[in-house]
Amino acid sequence: MQEEIATHARDISRALGGKVSEKEIENELNNYLNVYRVSLDTAKRSIVRKHGGDPTGLQLGVSKTIKELIPGEQSVDMLCRIVSVDGRQIDVEGGSKDILYGILGDQTGTVPFTAWVVEGLDFHKGDVIRVRNAYTKEFRGQVQVNFGNRTTLAKESPDALPPYEPGKGSVPRGPPTPMKVVDLKEGSSNVSIIVRVLDVEKRQVQVNGDAKTVFSGTLADETGKVKFSAWKDFSISPSDTIKIEGGYVKAWRGIPQFSFDERSEVSKLEASTLPAVEELEKSPRVWIEDLAERGGAIDVVVRGIVIDIKEGSGLVYRCPECKRVLRKMACRIHGEVQGAPDLRVKAVVDDGSGALIAVFGKDLTEGLLGKTLEACITEAKENMSQEVVRDQLADLLVAQPVEVRGNVTSDDYGLMMIVDGAKILKVDVEQEARAMLEELEGLEDTA
Amino acid sequence: MNRETAWRVFAGEYNDSTLDMSDGGERSPTYVVTPLGAKVNRLFVVGVLTDMENVGTEQEPMWRGRITDPTGTFHVYAGQFQPTAAAVMAKLKPPVFAAISGKSRVYKPDSGQTYVSIRPEIVKVVDAGLRDFWVLESCMSLKKRLEAAREAYQMNPPTTEELLKLGYSSSLSAGLVAAVAHYGKVDLSRYSSMLAESLRYLLPEFQESRPPETEEVIKVEEKAAEKPAKAGADDQLEGDILALIEQLDKDGKGASWDAILEGAKKHKVDRDKLEELVNALLDKGLVYEPVLGRMKKI
Repeated sequence: MQEEIATHARDISRALGGKVSEKEIENELNNYLNVYRVSLDTAKRSIVRKHGGDPTGLQLGVSKTIKELIPGEQSVDMLCRIVSVDGRQIDVEGGSKDILYGILGDQTGTVPFTAWVVEGLDFHKGDVIRVRNAYTKEFRGQVQVNFGNRTTLAKESPDALPPYEPGKGSVPRGPPTPMKVVDLKEGSSNVSIIVRVLDVEKRQVQVNGDAKTVFSGTLADETGKVKFSAWKDFSISPSDTIKIEGGYVKAWRGIPQFSFDERSEVSKLEASTLPAVEELEKSPRVWIEDLAERGGAIDVVVRGIVIDIKEGSGLVYRCPECKRVLRKMACRIHGEVQGAPDLRVKAVVDDGSGALIAVFGKDLTEGLLGKTLEACITEAKENMSQEVVRDQLADLLVAQPVEVRGNVTSDDYGLMMIVDGAKILKVDVEQEARAMLEELEGLEDTA
Repeated sequence: MNRETAWRVFAGEYNDSTLDMSDGGERSPTYVVTPLGAKVNRLFVVGVLTDMENVGTEQEPMWRGRITDPTGTFHVYAGQFQPTAAAVMAKLKPPVFAAISGKSRVYKPDSGQTYVSIRPEIVKVVDAGLRDFWVLESCMSLKKRLEAAREAYQMNPPTTEELLKLGYSSSLSAGLVAAVAHYGKVDLSRYSSMLAESLRYLLPEFQESRPPETEEVIKVEEKAAEKPAKAGADDQLEGDILALIEQLDKDGKGASWDAILEGAKKHKVDRDKLEELVNALLDKGLVYEPVLGRMKKI
């Protein structure tokens, strides 16, 4: 330990440009660690700041295994294996940028990662890498590792870590946990569910360069619906009632998706186990707080009040290239273009348990306004302002109870529903109040 | 980062709050925590805007509005940093049904008291139908918190994990644990009568005069150790005074105080008693004071 402290003291001294002696720093570091009992990382940063230095100059992080990671690490080192890696483009202010994301693993577990700077990065599935100066955040209760500007990555020999074995290192495989569709959450594994197949199709996909056959579609029980992917032919067909044991849950934009493969078992059950397809096809009514805990869901109904109409609602113009909504008649990516007119609403719907952004497309917006896109364009020209349409929508919708139906996704900005159907919510307040009061008085009588 | 929920909380519960907290961290939002554990950063209220006043200056106006619901009064402040809401508020002519979404605010002067208010984001004129809908939503919300509080009071001490296990949301579970630590186990009967009263408010059979069986509730609500018979008699008198105020308001500007005092003599009500009755009517949001010394029925 003392030896390790000496190394860290050297790192601090270097970050301070050598203006404080290593011996002095070592004493201070011991003091922070043993008397004040702060973490090594915090201690190092505090000492650098105390002497007027910049903590980002520190090079030597604290080495941890995946199990030891906590959210909010400022600088952490790891030795791990790339379990999976993928790239995508994200929208950022002033354009788009490439990032890499995937899963890291070591003998203690796995953790998702994102690399925000991809220039010069070259690693592949299965590589063992030494990570320095990564940082962690929490996303939906899970630690996430981030590689930023200061992070350095170096390849190590593949035998520096034992090979990754799926399912190992996390939970030992025991009997599967029975769950209802509504309880499926990202990361659940070894799950058993009893469901009815609503639809299924066979598709060919590319997975890491290999062609694979996948059967995908929709499953449902009385609590809700979920999309599924079966990586083996279990010969299931629509309206089958089945029990799936040993499935796992991944998420796409927060929506839980159920997967199962050759390690899972599928058995057919009596049709009477679950309600009929027509019954299960109905969209269940959900509370937004439950959607927030689940991360998203397909085809649900939310009842709430519109409490705001966001900017970018009403009459908008889209880039003909990328369909992004133009700001001041310019696209973020393609500059000044001849925009194509469109109507949409981004409404904040709040049901008292949570809030989501409900996005209404052109047809629904025309229905709400009771006029066509063309009429809106004419009005905007007459009033010399696009905002006139948004103001009309605000007049119509703000403080209006609504019922909206659609798929709900989530990202860093919260929950979003792409609305498939909407109606003005009419509630018989008197009847509901009477029922509640009777229930209340009933309770008092029995108490 | 999910948007903060717009809580439906009655003024009666919100105004009882003396706890504010944040989850830690520089940019984390602050919450007003009610005795029943609602962790309120944003709220949505619908009620009667009974009066509106510029408590700032001509150059830098600060609009103060009072919004009453069946249980009490919300205080709403909008100044130069809420330009949209302030612009709408400046034009409102009370009394009017208003819907407001806004942020919870706490003011703790040195005297040790706590005042909670709302800083509005959006203000809109609405109708009685939406007010009733809001009262119903707030009843459902209150009912859930009452149930959760009863569960929490069985635990010693309550923990977030145990409440989560019972199916309450993480926000309510954390709020309740903080509430119990700060307020202790509060008298839940105050809130269950608030719930029952608010439900009755929505039902035509309970409007106008109250049937005798609700006297018990009135007693609890006023927390005064008055005899039920007296509370019943006061109720009758309140009704009389309300009718009197309406009758005396001939020009629509409200009934003058002197005229009400004169008229009250017929009901054997003296000045002190009248003040008590009018205050009760003000609290219930049945009358308001358009200008000093004048009373008007809503």
